[in-house]
Amino acid sequence: MTCEHLTRRFGDRTAVDDVSFSVAPGETYGLLGPNGAGKTTTIKLICGLLAADGGTVTVAGHPQSPTRTDAKALVGYVPQDVALYPDLSARENLRFFGRLFHLRGKALAARVDEVLDLVGLADRGDDRVEAYSGGMARRLNIAAGLLNEPTLLVLDEPTVGVDPQSRHAILESVNRFGRSGMAVIYTTHYMEEAQRLCDRIGIMDGGRLVAEGTHRELVSLVAERDRVVLSGRGDLGPLRDLVAGLDGVEGASVVDGRVEVLAVDAHSLLPAALAAAAAAGVPVSAVEVVEPDLEAVFLHLTGAALRE
Amino acid sequence: MLHGAVVIAAKDLRQRFRDRSAIVLGFVAPLLMVALMNAAFSGAGEFHATIGVVDADGGVAGAGILDGLQSPDLADVITVETFPSADAARAAVDDGSVDAAIVLPDGLTAMAAGGPGVPIDVFTSVDADLAGEVTASIATAFTSQIATLRLTAAVAGEAGATDDEVAALLAAAATSPPAIQAVQQATSNEPLEPVAYFGPGMAMFFVLFSVGFTARGFFVERATGTLDRMAAAPIRPEAVLAGKALSVFVYALASLGTMSAVTALVFGASWGNPIGVAVLCVGMAASVVALSALVMGVARTERQAEGLSSMFTFALALLGGSFLFLGSAPPLLRRLAVLTPNGWALRGFTDLATGVDVWTAVAAPVAGMAAFTAVVGAVALVAGRGAVTR
Repeated sequence: MTCEHLTRRFGDRTAVDDVSFSVAPGETYGLLGPNGAGKTTTIKLICGLLAADGGTVTVAGHPQSPTRTDAKALVGYVPQDVALYPDLSARENLRFFGRLFHLRGKALAARVDEVLDLVGLADRGDDRVEAYSGGMARRLNIAAGLLNEPTLLVLDEPTVGVDPQSRHAILESVNRFGRSGMAVIYTTHYMEEAQRLCDRIGIMDGGRLVAEGTHRELVSLVAERDRVVLSGRGDLGPLRDLVAGLDGVEGASVVDGRVEVLAVDAHSLLPAALAAAAAAGVPVSAVEVVEPDLEAVFLHLTGAALRE
Repeated sequence: MLHGAVVIAAKDLRQRFRDRSAIVLGFVAPLLMVALMNAAFSGAGEFHATIGVVDADGGVAGAGILDGLQSPDLADVITVETFPSADAARAAVDDGSVDAAIVLPDGLTAMAAGGPGVPIDVFTSVDADLAGEVTASIATAFTSQIATLRLTAAVAGEAGATDDEVAALLAAAATSPPAIQAVQQATSNEPLEPVAYFGPGMAMFFVLFSVGFTARGFFVERATGTLDRMAAAPIRPEAVLAGKALSVFVYALASLGTMSAVTALVFGASWGNPIGVAVLCVGMAASVVALSALVMGVARTERQAEGLSSMFTFALALLGGSFLFLGSAPPLLRRLAVLTPNGWALRGFTDLATGVDVWTAVAAPVAGMAAFTAVVGAVALVAGRGAVTR
């Protein structure tokens, strides 16, 4: 899959702005970015659900658009929400979507059994989806995207709201798809998922692809920096603002009750950061200096945290 | 495009027929409503009254009136019960055992023969005012007839007729019963049974609910992402809409077809020529498709779709005559009915049920429904561009 200079606007807002990247067969490509970064719009363009205002998408050489059935036939799409009919059984759902891909008869029945088996739902295939747990429904959601044995599998945040056990099962499945030779695009705002699954990662922010590369390549962008985490209580916003203004600080953000800071030198930052905490009236309960990771890369590139 | 549309329509119909509320609205509720309407209106087009008669006259005039009321020609319209006294007749009217009563007074024959006038009493009940009016009109007709003959006799006497000739005229007045004739008139070959009106009327009213079902389902599919998932398959976006249209078309046809069959079997309704009925059902189903497309194209949310479809359903049902006989509706309502597809279809169905020639019955309704479908469909196409990928 190759997209070049992909652009899509909704009124005055540019949701996807001149995005270009490619994914090779057998490669898992992560699109990482916060909510509203443009990930979902990008994959809707790749799947032919939206027409681009500019740029092109090709899948195995076939130009993609809402009216091009040849390119769509090669793509498996797993939407962010569980896009299934709760009043139909798993098997009925899969048969329906399989028929839309021109599968029929024994071939359809066999493929339905295969994908149910792939996601570990073979024994629950005749149950209505409304009787499924959230994790089971998510797995079935993925199964529906595999019916056409896609050349390119696109998964849009498939682990949102999933329990740890189902999440582990989903990540294992995605790992297998990549190893089987399928090209996989995986969007997430969980850096650990991108780090674990993806051969290459594209970081999106504000509709643009701000960086791209392997995990190692991306982390090397901040190799000379330190990531400092200040844990505290109360409103951490004032502390973040004070720390962000200190010398040597490249970005600061509040995440999960902590202030994450990317700094050139942690040792010289710490006294000033603690003084800032005292000035802000925030009692600091712990200070950590951790290895740079994708979170630090994102902080470095955008000045904000992924999950802020 | 056809393959995708058929697959989507088959899935939609499977869901629709599993949905109890859709079954109730499409099949059970209209049948119940027809049963109620049929019970309420059966016999409304026919008149029959039981009239009590007190013959206190005992002469030829009283006997003549009694014979006239009991003649075989009136047997379908009037049943006569005789009472010995005015009090007994009044009591029978009060307790409802007769609808009205007439008292032929002592001296009636003498009055007819030129004697002094005597009043003819009529007892009526508010529960059967039509029977009372009929009975009163019989009394009025008799007294008018006597007055006419007495005038004729007086004129004949003045003109030089002999006393015998005048007496013969008055005797004829005394023995002539009032001219009572029951004539049933209809503009077509057969009378219209209530079930033949309310059957299609209710069927179309409830079929209009499928507009709401379809439109709401469309927005639910958009919200849950199944619409996107369908559009991601190797089908054109138009196939999704075509599939939705096909499913509502088949559902509407199934509902109308079932209603016609069941009302015919259960209530004995005659819908008329089956080809004409089928043509009208197809026309109505096409109009429902256009209306569904309009709601899907104009509305932006599920709630808007629900509001719009409810408004269309009740407005069309009211204007199209589903709730009341259009023939007895105010002129404005009858004129507005031509703006509704169900009004046109109902006109066709009633014409077919009353034996009007099939092509005469369906030609104008089909043209009316086609015009509605074309106009509404065109607006829906403009408003709904990009509805799937919006």
